[in-house]
Amino acid sequence: MLKLLLVALGFLISVSSSMAMEDKFKFDDPKQAALFLELTKVLRCPKCQNQNIADSDAMIAIDLKRKVHELVSKGRTKQEVVDYMKQRYGDFVFYEPPVNSMTIWLWLLPLIFIVATLTWIIRSRKKVVQQIDHSQLEKAQQILERDE
Amino acid sequence: MNKTAFYLIPLFIFIGLLTFLYQGLFSNPREHESTLLEHSVPEFVLPDLMDTQKKHTQDVFIGKITLLNVWGVWCTTCAIELPYLKQLQQEGKHIVGLYYDQDIDPDFGIKTVQRVQQEVNQTYSQLGNPYAFNIFDVKRNLSLDLGVTGAPETYLIDKQGKIRLHHIGDLNPRVWANKFAAIYAQLEAE
Repeated sequence: MLKLLLVALGFLISVSSSMAMEDKFKFDDPKQAALFLELTKVLRCPKCQNQNIADSDAMIAIDLKRKVHELVSKGRTKQEVVDYMKQRYGDFVFYEPPVNSMTIWLWLLPLIFIVATLTWIIRSRKKVVQQIDHSQLEKAQQILERDE
Repeated sequence: MNKTAFYLIPLFIFIGLLTFLYQGLFSNPREHESTLLEHSVPEFVLPDLMDTQKKHTQDVFIGKITLLNVWGVWCTTCAIELPYLKQLQQEGKHIVGLYYDQDIDPDFGIKTVQRVQQEVNQTYSQLGNPYAFNIFDVKRNLSLDLGVTGAPETYLIDKQGKIRLHHIGDLNPRVWANKFAAIYAQLEAE
């Protein structure tokens, strides 16, 4: 019961907060309103880091929201708005870092690690197989025969 | 492969990781390269803070090495750096203020310009006025184009009106010595 209440309360809060955003920034086109909500979630506040501009109440975040509203109202696409912000606040402002010579390692290093470990495991297994050669088998056979 | 060398590999990886993470402890997450470095100041037409009839454009930065200081009377750190800016001005540096007010919300506009001017004059009488003049960024559009994250911030602009340095945070003797002095001297020589 309590769980149900909490879920209901959580739903109410989330609805009211997104409604508050829609109150302040109005759009004629529901598609633009959706784009606005999407953009404010993926743009990062330059002042209070680790918050997106939808969550942040810092003045800069409010200014950025107003700018996003203005650009989206003018019919700009998502990519155009993101580029506009990146031009001013760097790659930092967008929650999806670009792949470049620095960040490529974030993907490459785990791959290199997996490949290296796999090769190592396979190679060490092969060695175990190779170690049992004919001379050893013959020796073992001799010991067995002697015991008999 | 040599056995000892082989078993030393994890140790080296560990040391590498340790150095990388240790450096991270002392890096400043607020510090990131300004995208405007080596670029001209964005175009703007904005009123002077004390005489709103007078308009400034990006051309005010041409011909002189300028320190463009983003500030406001509501900003505590700005009040702390003001006496140091005054000292810099007395040493002959050309300091221009980029003023913006927190209470003037572009959507509502609660405070009058007269009230803002009064507050600024009051601050000057207490802490001194280091500014040659102030650009009044009414709707904070220039701040946005400059990539300002909050006051105080300072830009070093060369004689051609190009941004050569962007500092986030207050200006003090330590920051000047570490960050500004060398570039400033270089700009003077240019």
